[in-house]
Formats: sequence, structure tokens, C-alpha cells
Amino acid sequence: MQNLVTNSVQQAIQNPPGSPIYANNVTIWNHMSDALHQSLYRVLTLLIAVLPGILAFFVALVIFAVAGVVISWILRRSLTWAKFDLRIARKSGTDWTPSTSPTEIIARVSFWACVLLGLIIGVSAFDTSYATGTALPITLLPYFTHAVGAALLLVAGVLIARFLARSVLISAVNAQLQYARFLSLGVKWLVLVLTAAMVLDHLEVGGNVVELAFGILFGGIVLTLALAVGLGSRELVSRSLENHVKPSGERAPVPEEMASTVRSIRHF
Amino acid sequence: MATANQISDETAVAEHATADLVVFVTAMPAEKFKGVLDNLGAAFPAVNMIVATQNELPADAPRSLRIDLMPQSNAFWMLQPADFIRAAQCGLEHEAKAILILGPGADSLSTLALRSLADAVLTAPIDLVVPHYSLAPHTGLINSAILYPLTRAVFASSVRFPLPIDLGMTPRMAERLTATAQRISANNQGEAILWPVNEAIAAGFRIDEVDAGTRAVPQPSDAEINSVFALITGSLFADIEAKAALWQRPRRAPLTHRTAPEVAFSNGTADVARMVAAFRLATANLQDIWPLVLPPNSLLMLKRCSVLEPAEFRLPDNLWARIVYDFLIAYRLRTINRGHLLGALIPLYLAWVAGYINTVASGTPAERQIETVAAAFEADKPYLVARWRWPDRFNS
Repeated sequence: MQNLVTNSVQQAIQNPPGSPIYANNVTIWNHMSDALHQSLYRVLTLLIAVLPGILAFFVALVIFAVAGVVISWILRRSLTWAKFDLRIARKSGTDWTPSTSPTEIIARVSFWACVLLGLIIGVSAFDTSYATGTALPITLLPYFTHAVGAALLLVAGVLIARFLARSVLISAVNAQLQYARFLSLGVKWLVLVLTAAMVLDHLEVGGNVVELAFGILFGGIVLTLALAVGLGSRELVSRSLENHVKPSGERAPVPEEMASTVRSIRHF
Repeated sequence: MATANQISDETAVAEHATADLVVFVTAMPAEKFKGVLDNLGAAFPAVNMIVATQNELPADAPRSLRIDLMPQSNAFWMLQPADFIRAAQCGLEHEAKAILILGPGADSLSTLALRSLADAVLTAPIDLVVPHYSLAPHTGLINSAILYPLTRAVFASSVRFPLPIDLGMTPRMAERLTATAQRISANNQGEAILWPVNEAIAAGFRIDEVDAGTRAVPQPSDAEINSVFALITGSLFADIEAKAALWQRPRRAPLTHRTAPEVAFSNGTADVARMVAAFRLATANLQDIWPLVLPPNSLLMLKRCSVLEPAEFRLPDNLWARIVYDFLIAYRLRTINRGHLLGALIPLYLAWVAGYINTVASGTPAERQIETVAAAFEADKPYLVARWRWPDRFNS
């Protein structure tokens, strides 16, 4: 026992605490260096394998974007020459009212269709080169496609939210509801919350937490709106119910002033 | 087309019988139709006339009238494109020299008014004759606020009621209207509106206006202003947009020679407070939408108006004209959704109505006030033309 302690002390004296521990004449630094080299080698190999795919992606995108510009220019010129807008206006009348002219819409759609095609072809090329480096445990490509879908969802959601908010605001103002702006904001945030939940779900972020949070938020907004509308328009609702429930013979007499007013103003 | 099975021999009309005058009566309740037939019998005792109608013939109809019964249809509160098509078909079939169309509630038209409408087409080189009704100042307010001033300024037309419920026309005018109506009908526009006066101006036809006295104006079944306002104003805006090449040429409206008597103003001031409140609510809430359409000057003036007491409320005529023009430009440019745009105009229209009622209640004759508004529209027409051609100038 005493010999064992003596040997240990001697070994400690020969190897101070700051110096590495030797095992089979190879230091731990050599192991770390090897590991780093191997990792660097693997990443560089992956990059070399994926680089052509990335380049192909950008080349395809640029080529198709340029083709889109050319096609949309040709379409715009030819449709203008054919007086397409005028013909559409004659045929559709006033029912269809886009914010831009039909010619412009077709030109833009053709451009973005080309860009989308380029995107698909680029992603396909990227996918082919990516397949060679699947040894790495990353899920870049599926996540990228999900991200594109989520971005589209987000844009659509924001547009719909804005449209519905304006519709509700104008209708509420014309119905002379004092809480028109509040109602409009409520509808806008309802749609935005729904959109956010859909986007996160599409990105597979959050899992059950998102569903739970969405349920709570959505329910909360709906309850708030219901309370606000219910409390704010008690008289309106009760008047409406009275009109529906009471038979015509039992209706409350209309005040003389109101009756004369109803008789007097005619917009048409 | 003619079906004479249900009627007596005296009132039946042969399919190809000719007539100087064809009167087309739109669908309406039986008792009103009876009143129209009585008036027609009294107005045209010696005229070679055929009455075409979509109504069921009453049992006690005047036996002197020749009636052309057409397939029945549902009554509507204003003339529809299909009415113009049927009237023209009937007029051309019977080789009529003049065609009268009598809209819903035409039983309230006097025999004198009926004769004036027919005589204007039969005896003078006039293609389209429209009645000038003597309505109470608080009636037909959309017409007084927008339709008349805008049509007068844009198309240089002095017609007081550019969306008539009754009218008289020549066969060539009927053909023109039929072509337009068929185009509208082919596009399945259920509640589309035809603007006969604008069509006549576009075709270069002569128009005249005759005093028609008082008339019961039919009202839409849905009393809500929102839908009616958007329907009528949107239709006029669309028609102006379609005829842009025509009205940008300089024209001058012919001098008017109206003799329609003023109708007494009944108290409508109780509604002013409600309309001003609606305007104030919109001023507070539509601050995100109005600036997309209106220039800062107009917004500032509206803000000043919004603090006025209901009893003193006025919307300056030049401001109103500028507002309507700006909304027309926004309609053309599709600055925002057209439904939203017309909805955002309603509170401003109510503000105009409130100011108009106050003005008339203070003693200003209603017709004079409406003429002043129309003059403001005419004076500001260069602004409309300039912005129509160079819309971006406003933004710079």
C-alpha cells in the first residue's frame, strides 16, 4: 500500500497538472485535432457536393426570371394592342373589380409563374445534388419547401385580414356602431392569429403548444368581441327581437317625431 | 309575342297590327295597373295606340284600349334592361312612331304628363324625352346630390332626372337602348342599370324634358340605403368610366327652362342630428380609408365640418363636388375595392343631405340649392378632367 502511494506521488511529480495525459504515446489534443479535421472534411465534402446544386438553383431562377420578364412584356404589349382591358370591361361590366387592369394582372401572373417554375426546377436540381450528401442529419430541403408554403400562407392571411377589416369597418360605420374600429381590429386579429397558427403548424414549430395557444387566443378574441357587441348593442338587439317577436298589431307606437322623419327623407 | 287569348275581342290586338304609339307598362300591382289604363284611355282617346304590358289584364279594363299581353314578370322598383328590350321589340313589331315606357307607380302620372311625353316624340324631332317630376325637396336625394349634378357636369346634360322611371323615345333610340341592354343582360348583371340619357348623348340624339308634375316615386324593397346607394352610384361611375372618351371633349350644358313648381318642404330636421352623428362617427373611424381617396385639403375641411353643431351643419358645395370627383377618380383607378369605396362615400353623402336639409329649412328654395350644387360641379370639372388624365399629379 505504501509502495502504491509512493509511485503515485512520483508520477504526479513527473506529470504536473497542466500537461496532457498520455495514453499509448498519443495526446488528447491529437484526438481533438483528428475529430475536427474529420468534421471539416465532411462539411467541405457536403458543400462541394451541394455547391453545384446551389449554383444550378440560382442559375435556373435567374434564367426563368429573365424569361418571365420577356414573356410578360410581350403579353402586355400584345394585350394592349388587342384592347383586352376594354373587351373584358364590356363583358364583365362592373361585377369584377380588380385593383389593377386585367392586362397588368396577366402580365404579372405570367412573370411570377415563370419565377415559380424556375424555383421548382432550381429546387429539383438542388435536391438531386443534395441526395449525394444525405449522410448529414440535417433536413434543409423539406424545411425550405415548408418555409415557402408558410410564406405564401402568411401573405394570403395578411391580405385577407386587411380586406375583412376594411369591410367590417365600413359596414359598422354605416350601421352607426360606435365600436366600429374595435370590431374591425378584432376581426383583423382573428384572421392574423389564425394565419400565424397555420404558418407555425406548417413549419412544424411548437407542436401542441401552438395549438393550445391558438385555441386560447382565438377563443379569447371571439369571447371579447361577443361581449363587446352584446353589451354595446343591447338596445339594437332588443329592438330587433321585439320587431320579430311581436305581431304587427302589437308593435310599440312609433314616436311622432320619428314617424314624420321616416316619411320625410327619401334617398331615391 | 302577343297573346290575346285571355282578353275580350275589343281589347285584343293582332300580332302585326300597326300603331303610332306603343306604351309599355312594366309589372306592377293590379290596382295600379288599372289606374294606368284609365289614365291612358283618358290621355289618348284618338291616338292609334297599343298598350304592351306584363301585367294581368283587369276585368274592368277600358274596352277602347288595344292591349298586347306579354309574359308576366316580377315587379321591380325601377326600370330594368329587360324592360327596354321588351318595349323596343314591341314598338318595332307594331311599327310605332313613338314608344312610351311607364315604370312602377305610373298610375300617379297625370294625363297631361302622359300626353306631353308622347307629343314630344310624335310631333318634334326628339329622340328621347324624359319627365321632369315635381318632387318634394326631401325626395330623390341621391339624384339631387350626385346623379343630376354629376351627369350635368360630365355629360353637359340639363336633364334633372337622369335616371327616369318613365320615358318616351323614337324607334332608333329604342334600338340603341336595346343594344346596350342586351349587352348588359348577356353579362348576367342581375341588377344592372341602364342610363338612357347618357346613351342618347353618346349617340348624338336629341333629348328633351317635359314637366310631368308630381309622381309617386317607387322605393326599393330594401329600405337600407347602403345597397341602393352603392348600386346606383356605382352604376353611374361605371357608365362615366365607359364613356370617358366622350365627355372629356369640351361641351356646354344647354340652358334650362324649367317651370316645375316648388313643392313645400315638410320638416325633416329631426334626421339631421342622426346624419351628422353618422358623419362624425365616420370622421373618427375612416381615417385610414378616406386619405387614400381624398386630398389633404378636403380632409381638413371635413374635419372642420365635423365639429359643427347639427343645426348649423353645412357641407360646402365646392367641397362636395371635389369629394365626388375624387371618389370617381378612385373608382376608376381602383385605389381600393370598389365596394369599400362606395361604402366610404355614404357618410359623406349623409353629411351633404344634412347640410342640404338645413339650407332648405333656412328658407333657400330647394331647386335653387340643387342648381348651386350642380354649378359647383360644373365649375370644378377641369379638376376631374385633369386628374382623370394625370391621376398621379395629386400624389406629387
